[in-house]
Amino acid sequence: MLVSCFCLATLVLGSTLAGKEKASIRGVIDREISATWKKKELKAAAPATEAAFLRRAYLDLVGMVPTYAEARAFLDDEDKDKRAKLVDQLLADERHARHQAEIWDLIFFTRNPANPSATRKRGRFQEWLRKQFKENVPWDALVQKILLAEEEGSAMFHVQYRNKPEDETVALNRIFLGTQLQCARCHDHPYEERTQRDFYGMAGFLVRLSVREEKQGKDRVWRIEEKSSGEVLFTGAAAEAQPGQKGEPVSPKFLGGEELEEPELPEDFKEPDYKKLKEAWPKPVFSRKQKLTEWLTSAKNPFFTKAIVNRVWAQLMGRGMVHPVDDLNPENEASHPALLEALTQWFVEQKYDLRALMREIVLSDAYSLASAGEDTTAFPKWYDRARVRPLSAEELIASLRVATGFDEAVGKDAKMPSSASSYMLKIFGKPNDGQGRFQGGVDEHLFLNNGSQLRGMIRSKEGNLSHLLLNDEAPWEERMDRLFLSTLTRYPTDSERKKFTAYVTSNEKPQETLEESIWALLTSSQFRFNH
Amino acid sequence: MTKSTLCTPAEHLHRRSFLKGTLLTGTGLTVANFGNLFGSKALAAETQKQKKRCILLWMNGGASQLDTFDMKPGRPTGGPFRPIPSKVDGLEVCEYLPKMAKIADKLAVIRSMKTQSPGHPDGIYHMHTCYKMSERTPHPEIGAVIAKYCGNMDADLPSFVRMGPTGNTGPGYLGPDYSPFSIKRDGKLPNFANGGVKPEVEERRTELYRFLEEEFAKSHAAEPFENHRLSKERAWRLMRAKEAFSLGDDWEKQKDRYGDTNFGRGCFQALKLIEEGVPFVEVGHDNYDSHANNFVCHKANMQQLDPAWSSLLIDLDQRGMLEDTLVVWMGEVGRTPKINNRAGRDHYVKAWTIALSGGGIQGGQVYGKTDEDGREVTEDPVSEGDLFATIYKSLGINHRKKHYWGQRPVWLTPEGSKPLDKLFA
Repeated sequence: MLVSCFCLATLVLGSTLAGKEKASIRGVIDREISATWKKKELKAAAPATEAAFLRRAYLDLVGMVPTYAEARAFLDDEDKDKRAKLVDQLLADERHARHQAEIWDLIFFTRNPANPSATRKRGRFQEWLRKQFKENVPWDALVQKILLAEEEGSAMFHVQYRNKPEDETVALNRIFLGTQLQCARCHDHPYEERTQRDFYGMAGFLVRLSVREEKQGKDRVWRIEEKSSGEVLFTGAAAEAQPGQKGEPVSPKFLGGEELEEPELPEDFKEPDYKKLKEAWPKPVFSRKQKLTEWLTSAKNPFFTKAIVNRVWAQLMGRGMVHPVDDLNPENEASHPALLEALTQWFVEQKYDLRALMREIVLSDAYSLASAGEDTTAFPKWYDRARVRPLSAEELIASLRVATGFDEAVGKDAKMPSSASSYMLKIFGKPNDGQGRFQGGVDEHLFLNNGSQLRGMIRSKEGNLSHLLLNDEAPWEERMDRLFLSTLTRYPTDSERKKFTAYVTSNEKPQETLEESIWALLTSSQFRFNH
Repeated sequence: MTKSTLCTPAEHLHRRSFLKGTLLTGTGLTVANFGNLFGSKALAAETQKQKKRCILLWMNGGASQLDTFDMKPGRPTGGPFRPIPSKVDGLEVCEYLPKMAKIADKLAVIRSMKTQSPGHPDGIYHMHTCYKMSERTPHPEIGAVIAKYCGNMDADLPSFVRMGPTGNTGPGYLGPDYSPFSIKRDGKLPNFANGGVKPEVEERRTELYRFLEEEFAKSHAAEPFENHRLSKERAWRLMRAKEAFSLGDDWEKQKDRYGDTNFGRGCFQALKLIEEGVPFVEVGHDNYDSHANNFVCHKANMQQLDPAWSSLLIDLDQRGMLEDTLVVWMGEVGRTPKINNRAGRDHYVKAWTIALSGGGIQGGQVYGKTDEDGREVTEDPVSEGDLFATIYKSLGINHRKKHYWGQRPVWLTPEGSKPLDKLFA
């Protein structure tokens, strides 16, 4: 172990991982993670069963549990490489792009987006985002597209911060660079090297952006335009600010770097009368947006690559090596600094290929541990047991559909009753306290316990799970396989098989008791979490 | 590295030990005692009732200060309503608040609110959290804070109940444990709180559910699984305690006093819930957003507001509960002194009014002053943070209590907020 640690250190320090000497990054992950177990004298959990891996990978990579048929296909497959096969198949699945787009849309906008009258309905942006993930557009290129906002449908990120360059500064730093700047908005940072000047220097890149609205039939279409003049005004510490106080203009400055070198405007320059412009505005004399985009997404930016690697890691492993994922700063040390550094370099070499990164993490030993064990933490810091995270509202809705056979009964791509979907988004939308600690509210249980929506999904209809089970000729003991595989993606234990069989057959009309059994499985904690 | 203090192990243990009437199985899984689950009022009697409580009467849309408690008769901004004297010298109130005039000695009227968020979404957020919406830190709304600090997780009833038009900011960084439990605007329970299946079916399927959980818990000890089970137990406890939401004959006797309106019934429901130990109830009243026909709208609203609010204060007082129950009357904004060309008043945040009663606040006073037309605050301006610091002080909550959002410290009120000490008796 000592030797391998040493090797890793050399690899990382040397940073010339060329040719055949290059260790596979998965090997680096496994070595680094197990090295800390040894150091901390931790006993890692056993490897996850095939069934547990299957469910986890489906939820992480396509955002829903597998169907009965998908589960059987994987579990019955005797190929040694079936996990790698499965992961490749899921990454290429259209549902993967949809799931990633949902995750990032939520990071960009949250459940309560700013500028809601424009951003609440953002179908075009979501569609555009799905397309990016479907084409596996490299992360740096994707962020560039969002910031430049020149593609049809891509403008919504800026629209959220219409006329609010300071708010956007906070968001850009938090989301794309994993850094927190909001404190510097009102005062120099007490324990980090961030000043208010840094903050307003960043806002200076955004202050000239303008949101223009176009009507296309019934739709509102958004365009991002840029003026050639205009500065952010800085008034000093917020606590000392006076009403009506005029600030002094601040030139744009890269965070922790240089002031922007910018050509002077020609002396006779006048901004066009934008109000009268019907069409696209002329390009600015000099585009600050362009400069910001280049700087922010550069591999040389010390935060950009690390931030995304850490975020993807957290998405899959439950907890970022830097935790929380949007607080990269020298005071907040990474749990596995060498590994984070190695992954960051590797990701640049891979040209920001998100699927490649996910593939390596999901196929690592650390990802593939069991969730069983005595440790009570949801997200073990040393990754010595699988994390336990709640399904998002979207994952839960999709998984309930898969498990109950909703689409088989109602028709492919049938919509959930909109009331059910909107209730569920509301009730399951924010499952934790912001620090990742799960607190399922009472509301979600009242909904699952009493609401007619879940009962409606379970109720026997031609083609759905209840119906299939009721019309199966096999003895009930055997039918339990399908019941458990469809809902919990695993075979029942002996005692579960016995108990559930007895329960279903205790009634003259097994339909009732069968539906109750499905209810118990779907409202159980094992279904509620990705573990 | 800064450590989160949101949930200490001690707090956690405490919470688990709350589940009286439940059995601990060999595997450590809590299993509610069945006799209790479908039995009588369960834990209510054992619930240690918390003393400090708060009722927020939320004037959705923003009530007009000039047509209620800061009238400017004879001025161009005054409008057509006449002031009437109240029980308190120097506090004239609108002619459509005659019942409130009679108990004005229970009111502390703050005429000098000077706030920052002039729109509805941002105003509702700001006046529920005392922080600007644009900060994007998920601040908890006031009900969640009070639920956390004055509530009791052991209680069958939720600690934060709301009804009517109030906005819904949510518990923010405090998490879903302190989520609002929203009931219908007339105070009746939402559909989901009513059992969806027959009791015998509920009983048997619950037993099956518990079997499944117990099997799983043998090998899986992670906290989220346990939290899921605990929340489910809380949901069942709430269903058992739901008669607290059924006013029955009491309402028939009271509806003439409170006014037979959603808001009137809501206020009476709030009284009942506070009596049952719920620490925070919010009752919303629509709709004050009178950009047109301000006076028609306010006259109608006040005729609902006056009987409900005054009866609530009188009943709290008669039960000896007013001392420990703070009643807050406010909305997200005030209204413009200028009357627009549709006989309306628009949003105004530079000088407006809210009112407090009970909770250790000295009644019968007016705090702050506006100029003769009500355009500017001329004495003792009050910010959102100052108001919240005052409310928290009344409830015994440290208004500078530090929490963590991620690693970052965040306080219940912004830096520089001070309680209005003069208001306290």
